[in-house]
Amino acid sequence: MAKTNTIVIADAGPIIHLDELDSLALLAGFEKVIIPETVCHEVQQHRPFALSHPKIKFIRQRADSFSAQVNALIPIYTLHSGEQEALHLCCEVSNSLLLTDDTAARLAAKSLNIAVHGTLGVLLRAIRQQLLSKSQVIDLLQSIPSQTTLHIRPSLLQEVIAEVIKMK
Amino acid sequence: MLTAIETKIPDQLLQQAQDMVNEGWMINIDTLIIEAVRRYVESHQQILTERFIREDIEWGLHGKD
Repeated sequence: MAKTNTIVIADAGPIIHLDELDSLALLAGFEKVIIPETVCHEVQQHRPFALSHPKIKFIRQRADSFSAQVNALIPIYTLHSGEQEALHLCCEVSNSLLLTDDTAARLAAKSLNIAVHGTLGVLLRAIRQQLLSKSQVIDLLQSIPSQTTLHIRPSLLQEVIAEVIKMK
Repeated sequence: MLTAIETKIPDQLLQQAQDMVNEGWMINIDTLIIEAVRRYVESHQQILTERFIREDIEWGLHGKD
């Protein structure tokens, strides 16, 4: 599997949701996966074994510096502590990609010009990166409502599945 | 106007919420739950969530990295 040079900085949601789908290995295609310390605690509360995945070396890291821009956005978007630390780290680490499923955190990241995607993006990327087949990803997408705590409107999930089916 | 609802909440989460109330961060558990729901609804507007999911589709299926 060829690695990209993108460094992932993950919020708790995608780690928890990918673990619920037994799909954390999809993150192995990135250069590094950094988990902010605050996020580690959150993940461990919900999925105690997620960060011990045999195929992924999660790098636990604290933010060394605190961006004034991030601090200014905290009250606007009511960002949680894990989201705050992830955004601070994104400001420190070049070529970073924030993984979050939280709408407010995504808005904050966009206003800071930080690349940001979520669990669904990682699942779909697995087809493009030839990590999983289309049918495997469709199976995972279909299991989201029953196996995960990721909330998505059923008709929108069907649209996502339709996009995968029609992809050449 | 307030409407009473009945729901189930994981014991651990309820304990964490109760601890916050006991420490004085919130007046009572009802206020804490109202505040939590209000924040969730405010920060998860459907139109934005859908837009981000469509961006994930585009990146996931056709992105470069």
